Amino acid sequence: MINKFKPHLLILPEDEANRMIANGFVQTPHLDLSRVQILPNAGGWGHVRDSFTQAHNKAMSKYDKRMMLLLVDFDNQDNRREEVLSQVSPQVRDRVFVLGTLSEPEDLRGDLGHFERIGEAIGDDCLDEAPRTWEHPLLQHNEEELRRLTERVRPFLFPTR
Amino acid sequence: MLNRLYVHNYRCLNNFELRLKDKPSVLLLGRNGSGKSSVRSALEILQHIARGTNRVGTLIKRADLYRDRTDEPVRVEVEAEINARLYRYALALEYPQGFRELRVLSESLECDGLGIFSRDRAQVHLGPASDNPNGFRIDWHVVALPLIQERSAEDPLAIFRLWLARSLILDPIPSRITGESSEETLEPDREVRRLGGWFAGLIAHAPATYADIDSYLRGILPDLLDIKNPVVAESAEHRSRRLTVNFRAETHEHVLSVPFAALSDGEKSAFVCALVLAASKAHNPIFCFWDEPDSHLALDEVGHFITELRRAFKNNGGQLVVTSHSEETIRRFSHENTFLLHRKSHLEPTQVSALSDLDIAGDLVGALIRGDVAP
Repeated sequence: MINKFKPHLLILPEDEANRMIANGFVQTPHLDLSRVQILPNAGGWGHVRDSFTQAHNKAMSKYDKRMMLLLVDFDNQDNRREEVLSQVSPQVRDRVFVLGTLSEPEDLRGDLGHFERIGEAIGDDCLDEAPRTWEHPLLQHNEEELRRLTERVRPFLFPTR
Repeated sequence: MLNRLYVHNYRCLNNFELRLKDKPSVLLLGRNGSGKSSVRSALEILQHIARGTNRVGTLIKRADLYRDRTDEPVRVEVEAEINARLYRYALALEYPQGFRELRVLSESLECDGLGIFSRDRAQVHLGPASDNPNGFRIDWHVVALPLIQERSAEDPLAIFRLWLARSLILDPIPSRITGESSEETLEPDREVRRLGGWFAGLIAHAPATYADIDSYLRGILPDLLDIKNPVVAESAEHRSRRLTVNFRAETHEHVLSVPFAALSDGEKSAFVCALVLAASKAHNPIFCFWDEPDSHLALDEVGHFITELRRAFKNNGGQLVVTSHSEETIRRFSHENTFLLHRKSHLEPTQVSALSDLDIAGDLVGALIRGDVAP
């Protein structure tokens, strides 16, 4: 159970594939599980976007230690990150992060294994501070956003590393 | 790690095979009556054998046969990898005409392909049968595994038996857990009625586990001060303990001492989880089957609870199998480690399918609610 009054991260996956990737990530050793929670799938990137006007803008204003990671498929759309963030209130914008596969996660499986294993590999990268998985051609477009996310969440997600 | 479980002619399990190789944690899904509890019972038979129950009639009764098929043997087989060695144990039981209980038809244990013992009805051979053609005879109503003398703690027979005996087959009933205990144990019962004795056994076996138990529980019960298990009655032959949980809020000096029996069902479930986590670390590799571990938990506790369990078993080298109907638990597993148990009717046996082999459109929980997930 997360403590809403301490820094914490809510992960909102677009779909089943992204949910399973998140499942793999949270099994990383040394990750403080009391600081992270995976939310139910939104059911598509449009629902991720709309969930901010419906719920998250208000809740994030109330809980100022809350950060949100949105896992979406970019579907080869250059402006997908901006589209997803279009409904995020400017007051909470710096605490919202968008990561995802350039096309869709199914395209990663051939190179990186099943979805949970992809999440585990990302977790291992965090432990080693070596973003090997993120160098994959379908993930490297996340570089800047990943750096921004890492700076904010690493201190409380991996406090002992 | 349990690689394979095979069960035949037992309750709704007929020619049933569950393959769990390389899966540190697994979720079994299925409607009520689909066979999840029968899987648990089959595993419990093996656990009881390893813990010393050897009378066939107390392990399996005629009513347990699939559709009362007395003309076919009951088979229970496991393949397990323990400390990089592969063990295979197979037990077959039969119900001959005129008998009042089942008897052993055959039984064998192998390690890395080498026979440790084999048996044909009453005749038992130690080692490969060819090395010891005469062997010895035992009562055919008795299982041999718990009876054969091990040569040392390193004997594969001892290692397999200990792994099986220490496996956790759990279906806790919190209202029946009182915290009273009269002896230490590392082998809790299915309902975890002897939680106090299990707590004492873990602390005695590996004192550092107290820190793990304390650390986990503080995440759920932030005002937890400590746990005590004092002797409350003592005689020459008997010593009773009663588990007590002390709480202190940051803003209060006063310490509230609560008998374990007075905790809520959810709080008792959290204690069970803490002990499972501690056990997974204290005597790994450990196998745990937990029937609906999320019962009694608040919705915002379930995800954390399941993830903590999954992570502990993965990182400590054990294996966790859970059943659940909870959406939040289902979401904390993925298709490659989720199996669906399915029965078309009470007249047909359980089928098992890996979720990754099924065609599921969209959200799994939604598909389950719609009843669209089927082989």
